[in-house]
Amino acid sequence: MHAPPFEVFFVPAHGGQRLYIHHAPAGSPRGLVLHLPAFAEEMNKSRRMVAQTSRALAAVGFAVLQVDLFGCGDSAGDLGDASWADWTEDIGSAAAWLRTRHNSDAPVPLWLWAHRAGALLAGDALTQLAGPANLLLWQPLLQGRSVVQQMLRLKAAAHWQQGDGKAVIDRARADLAAGAAVEVAGYLLTPALVNAFEQAALKPSGIAGDGRQLVWLETSGDGGEISPAAQAQLPRWQQAGWRTDARAVAGPGFWQTVEIEDAPALVAATVQAMERAAVDAGDAQPAPVAAAGAGALS
Amino acid sequence: MDVLTNVNRVLDEVLSLGGRGLAFDHGTPLLGAIPELDSMAVVSLITTLEERFGIGIGDDEVDGQTFATVGTLVALVESKLAD
Repeated sequence: MHAPPFEVFFVPAHGGQRLYIHHAPAGSPRGLVLHLPAFAEEMNKSRRMVAQTSRALAAVGFAVLQVDLFGCGDSAGDLGDASWADWTEDIGSAAAWLRTRHNSDAPVPLWLWAHRAGALLAGDALTQLAGPANLLLWQPLLQGRSVVQQMLRLKAAAHWQQGDGKAVIDRARADLAAGAAVEVAGYLLTPALVNAFEQAALKPSGIAGDGRQLVWLETSGDGGEISPAAQAQLPRWQQAGWRTDARAVAGPGFWQTVEIEDAPALVAATVQAMERAAVDAGDAQPAPVAAAGAGALS
Repeated sequence: MDVLTNVNRVLDEVLSLGGRGLAFDHGTPLLGAIPELDSMAVVSLITTLEERFGIGIGDDEVDGQTFATVGTLVALVESKLAD
């Protein structure tokens, strides 16, 4: 079975162009999937897994769009030019592009597929998008301050051996508080963006579920139970009216491993969860014939 | 929970050691001995250890000795588990 085609192209936007990567299904899509990427090096290390999963989802009938946000990846701008508002605007534009491209308003569902820090943008997106969306979360970061902590740790890491790692972090935080941008591993962190991250969180309050779907997937060394953080969060989403499907699969933390790694169990679990969700939602379209072996994992 | 085994699993996974890490013992040297262990990998290791063990490691709790050997890393994790 040949893979469905994909297109890589640029669209004009505020401040310059954005890179779009679009995987189209054969025939009309049963759902539209918009990827909200991880941040900085985590995004770079995840490109391969995101591409593999986009192909796999397209093969079972989903249209999948990836966009490099302003100042990120191959889109225009440097990180030091980017604001949280730029990113939420990019997401809104990308969602609108997907709907227009597939000529579909409701009832084809829109999914926000958020990976790591991308989950922090999902909250704003859910309240700002014109229509409802489901959530597909990969190893979500729930608190933006952990992004800031990780970046500052990276800045300090070279100093840990001399024992002044904490001093480097303290100085960086003081610089940011005084209005100065801080450079970390080639990324310029502005006070405005750092503040936006510090305030960003993904939580269900204020986002009515209305029976929408939340798929929450994690990889850990050997699979097993979903993380304690997820276990604590999921009941709140259920109480807010979301239908949840959460599981952990065996696989590496590919967004941060030294070598680019695959997590095939995560690809398979994602496809299965999305197909299950489509069935749950009363998907009226017949599913494309699955390739041999697809969906064999239970 | 066998901390050494789980620390080794994290080392093997994050550093992409392909199984070599699973045979490490307390005396196995890390920083300077494993080329994959650069600044970025150090941060990824800290984060993954925090997530897997459910601990929080403070900015001032990592120094030149923390990653000297597998044993020094295990000692840090054990001290946080006891908190």
